[in-house]
Amino acid sequence: MGFLNSTTSFTRLNIMEEVPKDLLPQIQELLIKYSFKDIDNVALDRSFGWTSFDDMLDTNWERSICDKADYICFSLRLDTRRVPPAVLKKHTRLALIEEERQLLEQGKKFVSKERRAEIRDKVKLDMMTRFLPIPAEFQVVWSLQRNMIYLASTQQKIVDMFIEKFVETFNLHLEPLSAYPLALQILGEDASKELDEITASNFI
Amino acid sequence: MQESLGTTIEMTLGQEFLTWLWYNSEEKNGTYHTIEGQNPYVVYISNRIVVRGGEGDAIETASVSGVNSSLKEAKLGLTIGKLVVSALVHLEKEGLEWKVGIKAEDFALNSFKTPAVSKEDKDDDNPDALFLEKIYFIEQGLDLINDCYQQFLQIRLNNSDWAKEVKKIGEWINL
Repeated sequence: MGFLNSTTSFTRLNIMEEVPKDLLPQIQELLIKYSFKDIDNVALDRSFGWTSFDDMLDTNWERSICDKADYICFSLRLDTRRVPPAVLKKHTRLALIEEERQLLEQGKKFVSKERRAEIRDKVKLDMMTRFLPIPAEFQVVWSLQRNMIYLASTQQKIVDMFIEKFVETFNLHLEPLSAYPLALQILGEDASKELDEITASNFI
Repeated sequence: MQESLGTTIEMTLGQEFLTWLWYNSEEKNGTYHTIEGQNPYVVYISNRIVVRGGEGDAIETASVSGVNSSLKEAKLGLTIGKLVVSALVHLEKEGLEWKVGIKAEDFALNSFKTPAVSKEDKDDDNPDALFLEKIYFIEQGLDLINDCYQQFLQIRLNNSDWAKEVKKIGEWINL
């Protein structure tokens, strides 16, 4: 999802502290340090990190830079590997049948609970290497003038993931601008007492 | 701010802001002047609105949409105590138009549409020209939303002004 599309869904996030001046020249370097790591050939179910705003495959910013005038632009890339439950169920069952057959040859009857769990995990790991992860990209625009971030997603899960990674990378804290924090931003912190006293109005 | 209290205030502010916008768009042609007193702009709600009422298992949601829809069924919901939970908001200023879906719960901005960015006449030397024009329009739209929200807050936080506004909104609902 991107800001250059004809429509964009996004969340505004306020940077809660002033950005230290000495951080600005380090941003590109920090983005690379916490960049997205590919899991195409690794049996992991999820990976997320930063990548280029202009090309989600350019995780080292070899073909672009993150600066665009007064904005820092990058993307959150999230790759998720999903093994369809029906496939997992089928192959777990096949593996259990094979295990039971081998046990019978040894004169045993039952597969223990622990061994069943082991087989399930092994099948899952095996299946994970056979399904490619699904890539997703969520563009990020950081307005230096407004001390504000625009994240091209309104999904709570993605917003939480983004905040976690942003704090880890820049040690700056973020607050999504819902109605209450936006009111405080517009009116100033002094308005918090009045806002806290608000109760729902009865229009009818 | 306590979390439970905060959650209620978030929702209340969001719902009342969207309801106030809707009332203004029908009763006052949605015309505003910026806080700084610059050129007027228009904000109105049309085409899509969601209202919700009730509690627990008895929560009922009514979603009304349609080009040129008068949203009558949604307004009927207001008469029985439902509240606006999301709406498609149109903004117009100096011949430019924005559209955005705003949710009361979190103020997330859905399907934000800005004035069209002209792909022709772009400076070939600046590969970011398109992006910069687009973000300029996005921030212009955000400024209008903020300005409008500020005007709502000024009325909302003044007890006597808000009491008058609630009465007028009530009359509009029951029209």
